[in-house]
Amino acid sequence: MNIYIKNFFKFCLIVLLQVLILNKITLRWWAQPGGFPVFTPFVYPLFILLLPFETTVPVLLILGFITGITIDIFMNTAGMHAFATVLIAYLRTNVLNALLPKNLSEYPNQSPSVKNIGWMPFLVYSGFLILLHHATFFTLELWSLNNVGYLLLKIGASAVTSMLFIITYLLLFTRQSASRL
Amino acid sequence: MRNFILFVRRFFNLILFLGLEIICIVLIARTNMLQGNDIMSSANALSGIMYQKQNDVVTYFGLRRMNDSLINENARLRLSLARYHSVDTIKDSLVHRAIKQDDSAHVVQYNDYTYRTAKVINNSVSSGNNYITINRGSDDGIAKNMAVISSTGVVGRVVHVSAHFASVLSVLSVKQQLSAKLKDGTFSYITWEGDSPDVMVLKDIPQQIKIRMNDSVFTTNYSFFPADILIGTVFKMKVNTKNNLRLLYLHPSTNFRNIQYVYVVENKMMGERTRLEDSVKKGK
Repeated sequence: MNIYIKNFFKFCLIVLLQVLILNKITLRWWAQPGGFPVFTPFVYPLFILLLPFETTVPVLLILGFITGITIDIFMNTAGMHAFATVLIAYLRTNVLNALLPKNLSEYPNQSPSVKNIGWMPFLVYSGFLILLHHATFFTLELWSLNNVGYLLLKIGASAVTSMLFIITYLLLFTRQSASRL
Repeated sequence: MRNFILFVRRFFNLILFLGLEIICIVLIARTNMLQGNDIMSSANALSGIMYQKQNDVVTYFGLRRMNDSLINENARLRLSLARYHSVDTIKDSLVHRAIKQDDSAHVVQYNDYTYRTAKVINNSVSSGNNYITINRGSDDGIAKNMAVISSTGVVGRVVHVSAHFASVLSVLSVKQQLSAKLKDGTFSYITWEGDSPDVMVLKDIPQQIKIRMNDSVFTTNYSFFPADILIGTVFKMKVNTKNNLRLLYLHPSTNFRNIQYVYVVENKMMGERTRLEDSVKKGK
């Protein structure tokens, strides 16, 4: 299948997964006043993380903006998701370059996945960018530093939960054959 | 010129990055104004229809709970209706009876307000500003700044309207404050701290006011809400050491997690009232 069509379907799948299922799950462990924050896991940055290695930075940025704005429209946050997603789209290439032993052009027609870069590098790569995304988003959303502990707790907890969902997604959708776009 | 083009080509990625981030910041800043753009909200046609489709599927799972709440509301309405059946008009006209604050509130309510039902098709409780999308829009007479209530209490305020959908900023929002009063008429304002959807805070109540646990808190006429709509019940009190005023923690009476049907309240006098209040402000 054409790589563009494939990624378009992946985009639709991830956005629908986020909007129709994950946004309805509101994780809440203690409901005391000043207790543990209520949060929603975000897996949609995964679309940016899984784009092919060869994608150039401008394309990444524009796709990141489109993804973010789509989620923003569904969640009424107007620009906050887009801001965080554009940021990780910009840093994606640098993080990959720093993590991988080979040059990015040496992975023709491949996307970052557990198969071709291994579990550990992939978890570091996605973990770092997801944490950055969540930190940016929740800081923008709360827009105050009155309660730093609460903010950090919310960022940490939702990043960990998002990572669990991302690992689940990878386990579900990674094909056993080595060649995968 | 050549140097400029070279500069742009060299830093194209960075310039594009900064440009997109600036667009995002402008969008964020614009939503904080009163006249936010309606395209960028879940009230627009595409996302509205998608939420509608999803809700068509999910709604069956809540039917039992919804029936229960409707029966409870019917019972409550019948009870309040029964009060008016038993009024003895002849006796009332003979006995001189002072008009109480309660009476005037009821009269105003029946004259001024139109109630429209709407179905909740999308809902959130986890962000700092929570929005609810409903399946009624400007075609059904919904307009911005109308109050939204449920059968159990307050819900929020309409902020974006499209032809068939509207999005409602719920009272679980760090952006807005809500005028509120206790049973004896002491009024103050309610905020939400942004943490739990089960806790709201009524601020600045003087210590001499007697309050018990589970006291009810109602809306006032000063806001866009009709008066005497239940907001919640007190479950904790605290004294603010800075100004010696009390903070009351409330459980909201509306369960925002499973809200399914709401009433949009149109205040027919609101336009006139806002115009008058605005003209006073301008005159200053």
